[in-house]
Amino acid sequence: MKHARVLFNGSTLDVTVEEDGQLKSKTDGQLINEADVTWLSPIAEPGTIFALGLNYADHAAELAFAPPTEPLVFLKGANTLTGHKENAYRPDNIEFQHYECELVAVIGKEGKNISREDAMDYISGYTVCNDFAIRDYLENYYRPNLRVKSRDSLCPIGPWLIDKDDVGDISDLKLTTHVNGELTQEGTTADIIFDLPFLVEYLSKIMTLKPGDMIATGTPKGLKDMQPGDTVVCEIEKVGALVTNIVSEQEFYGDKY
Amino acid sequence: MTKNPIVNGKLVCVALNDSEQFNAMQAEFAEAPYKGAPTQPVLYFKPHNTWSTDGAVVEWAEGADSMVVGASLAVVFGKECCRVSQAEALDYVEGYTLVHDFSLVEQNYYRPDIKGKCLDTTAPIGAEVVSIADPQALTVITSVNGTVVNETPVSQLVRGVAELISTISYIMTLQPGDVIAVGFPGQRAPVAKGDKVSSVIDGVTKLNNVLGN
Repeated sequence: MKHARVLFNGSTLDVTVEEDGQLKSKTDGQLINEADVTWLSPIAEPGTIFALGLNYADHAAELAFAPPTEPLVFLKGANTLTGHKENAYRPDNIEFQHYECELVAVIGKEGKNISREDAMDYISGYTVCNDFAIRDYLENYYRPNLRVKSRDSLCPIGPWLIDKDDVGDISDLKLTTHVNGELTQEGTTADIIFDLPFLVEYLSKIMTLKPGDMIATGTPKGLKDMQPGDTVVCEIEKVGALVTNIVSEQEFYGDKY
Repeated sequence: MTKNPIVNGKLVCVALNDSEQFNAMQAEFAEAPYKGAPTQPVLYFKPHNTWSTDGAVVEWAEGADSMVVGASLAVVFGKECCRVSQAEALDYVEGYTLVHDFSLVEQNYYRPDIKGKCLDTTAPIGAEVVSIADPQALTVITSVNGTVVNETPVSQLVRGVAELISTISYIMTLQPGDVIAVGFPGQRAPVAKGDKVSSVIDGVTKLNNVLGN
């Protein structure tokens, strides 16, 4: 089942996404057309957002890094999350902002010291995120730093959370990114260096994982600069296709600019 | 794990903000992997599994030989704070409290320190949020088992409270219940199992914790 959260007639609504694309209210079963809603992040109460750097062998090579021997994990604030078909902004006066199409696993059960064998019991489902990065802002302190990776709107997520069992095996899912209809990134989760069971074991050895925590598992090669006006679609086989519109900093912040 | 009543969104911490440490590390900053001193505040999150309270027992890191602690003045936001100037920054503050950051010994600052900084219960946050006219005039004093180990005036920070609020608010919108720990002493104090750690801002507020076994 696909679980989403949307704004409909001014209220937040939990819905399921039906086979025909219609949305069905979890409260009263009302069917709603997608055209009438604003999509929200599918995770109602986001916990810790873990993201992986350099976790695809081909991407590490693209950035001229040797593949890491230990996961490169960083954290993102919930301020970064925005829904499907929403705007994300390009900061003024930068040279390079790229998308990162990533499979996100959502934790469904609290756990500490979870073994690799038991790891999948702690996952409730999957979604897609676009973990944008502003390369201009990289510095060699807690790299990739919060200024690069924790900006408002720069982690669109969705469209929905799909139950784990509806996806099944995640070891060879195709990922693609299209910018304005052109294929710019293509890969498969088969190239992941540290797989999800490894990451759950690794992280839960350090800390307690809780429902609503998310693990964004990294991105394959295929970096491209983004500009206001661009439409980016990050798609993962069996999970979903996440659409984001890039706008300028001024358009995004409006009166607060 | 104890749910903290004050922080409910983000706990943003600022590293390398003690000017004594910052100045002493200049030669190191010039070398690999840093290849230059930081030009921006060095920020990290203490995620929700780390949050605990005044009086809480802080879990000893499994298998660790040593841990360290630092205390920081912490800014608690009372309203949404997005892209504010330094001049207006303090208007968004509901009040101030203290944060302890317990961690493994800080080895380097090149990669996010998930292993060292994200341990359960290692970010106790004070029980009260107090109003302060001039946060720059305060001094944070930390004692371990009654002996003073750190005394850091807020004025010793490389970047002050208003500047940090402004800079961070241009990166991420801060919400009510978000907290910024503005700076820890460069010399974090070593602690052992069972140690009592107390921090105080004289006449303002205090924070007490004990290390578990």
